[in-house]
Amino acid sequence: MSVTQRSPVTFVVTILALVFLYVPLAVVVLFSFHATGALSFPFTGFSFRWYEETLSSPEFRAALWNSTVVALSVSFFTLILGTMAAYGLMRCRPRLRAPLAALFFLPITLPGLFVGISLLVYFARLGVQLSFATVAIAHFVFVFPYFFLIATAALDRLDPALEEAASDLGASPGTVFRKVTLPQVWPILAAATALSFALSFDEFIITFFVIGPDSTLPMFIFSKLRRTVDPSINVVSTLLMAITLALWAVAFIFVLRAARGRARRADALLLGGAS
Amino acid sequence: MNVQTRLSIEGVTHRFGRVTALDSVSLAIEEGELVTLLGPSGCGKTTLLRIIAGFINPSEGRVVVEGRDVTGVPPHKRPVNMVFQRAALFPHLDVRANVAFGLQVAGIRGEEADGRIAEALRLVRLEGYEQRRAHELSGGQMQRVALARALVNRPRVLLLDEPLSALDLKIRLEMEVELRRVHRETGATFVYVTHDQREALALSDRIVVFDNGHIEQVGSPDEIYHAPASPFAARFVGDANVIAVDVVSAQGDRAVVAVGGIHLDVASRVEVGAGPAWLVLRPEVVRLSSAHNGGLRGLVLDSAFRGTGFSYRVQIDGLAEPMKAEIAAEHGAPFSVGDDVSVMWESSSCRLMPHTATNVDYHQSDNESAD
Repeated sequence: MSVTQRSPVTFVVTILALVFLYVPLAVVVLFSFHATGALSFPFTGFSFRWYEETLSSPEFRAALWNSTVVALSVSFFTLILGTMAAYGLMRCRPRLRAPLAALFFLPITLPGLFVGISLLVYFARLGVQLSFATVAIAHFVFVFPYFFLIATAALDRLDPALEEAASDLGASPGTVFRKVTLPQVWPILAAATALSFALSFDEFIITFFVIGPDSTLPMFIFSKLRRTVDPSINVVSTLLMAITLALWAVAFIFVLRAARGRARRADALLLGGAS
Repeated sequence: MNVQTRLSIEGVTHRFGRVTALDSVSLAIEEGELVTLLGPSGCGKTTLLRIIAGFINPSEGRVVVEGRDVTGVPPHKRPVNMVFQRAALFPHLDVRANVAFGLQVAGIRGEEADGRIAEALRLVRLEGYEQRRAHELSGGQMQRVALARALVNRPRVLLLDEPLSALDLKIRLEMEVELRRVHRETGATFVYVTHDQREALALSDRIVVFDNGHIEQVGSPDEIYHAPASPFAARFVGDANVIAVDVVSAQGDRAVVAVGGIHLDVASRVEVGAGPAWLVLRPEVVRLSSAHNGGLRGLVLDSAFRGTGFSYRVQIDGLAEPMKAEIAAEHGAPFSVGDDVSVMWESSSCRLMPHTATNVDYHQSDNESAD
């Protein structure tokens, strides 16, 4: 048992911080179920009215569809290209490894505003029409480093002797990847793909610069805020939050799964050494 | 070329950057032989094994398997298989699927595959373990699976990279027996890398002693032990005392040497001239007795019980390093640390080695870390 000094001040500060963090979220969710159009207390009644209204709105449906298509294509290309980049990095010359990894990873440090403006200028220079394609490309730039970081970490932890063993047993490089590498890293890659989807799904700043006449879900909320203020905004926000949370949960489950596998293997090594 | 040569290494040199890991090594391994590559870590033995497997392409030289030059051929196209130091079993597959891996990628299926897998598992005595995963096996069992996984492909040469080094002593000794049995039953050609001289002596038909990227000596365990070709081989195999002496006079196979300030009559076995030389003395031929008994005078620095006897380290006046001595338990009462003793040996039980270009700057401390 650890003996910890509990100070009442620490306790109060912790509670206040948590309240500060979560109460606004709770209020948003609560008022999405409000019976009237008011967005402030008192809460006068519970209803699904705003959900029905929002879900039947063609604008909302279009935005939801757009966001989904963009996020799906972004996470698909990130999965393929990110995995290739991380796998290639593992087997390139050690001297090149660190600088290449840094180049792939660097965009993560750039502010969204900067990425958005520079991509807008870039697309304008090339004469590319702003569309979902430009949004998807911009999201790819934004999401790729996150995926790359996770995939590199997962592949780094693989025992290189396993791939050598497979190749020694007659497997061509492609077969080694399919039969030995992938079965061990896929939970992590799946988690990273879910995160890519979530990151793209609720991205706002970069999207703001490179989107054309159409709308993604965050853009829809933004434009709605400027026109009418009613609980349908809360509904969209709540749905956005729910979808994102669900994706993070999916990612978390995959990571847990991978960690369990690793722990079992570590146990096996320890037992193997001791018995 | 001899038709029975299974594997030949021809002038293989390998450099990692500016470091020469292997320096024009040549070696021929016969069909059915169990050859050990023995040496301290960093001597190049593992590099050579990885060159044979195809994981490393040598800077110079050729690897020839049954007359076919396989230099530059990728590992998955070579007729050799390897057992890795830490088994490297595929964690997502069970025992049977691990063993089946090589057959599967070779397109061997159905009855033939089933028969060969069952045969391989029987060979390593793991029938009934087909459904287990790697994490449900002990270390020794994992290495058996790794052995079966390699042998099921009927490799022309089986490579073993320190397969027992991660196991504890008891399992290691059992596995040595198993490896000898598997080698006998299969008649396969084994190339076995180890840094453990005891393991090499117990397992091998022939031992190749490596040091610093070159071969020091090739011979049967008996030859290596009793007729080491260099101070390094003597010290690495059997932990001999290697003492710097001055040859005062030599006649035939007898010589008089100055060591620790006194003159001793020793068997030289080889032609030596007057001047500096190495005296090689196995710990088990060294005899200790109470002081003032003639011979070299020494002080007992350390004593350890070994079951069959005691091993001592004795500091002798005028010698740089303590002398190691193994004394059987029935040879009188053991000595204690701090005792004055006199150190003797049969003059015929030691060897004299003349200084040569390669051993003149030999230092015992070079291999202190290896056992």
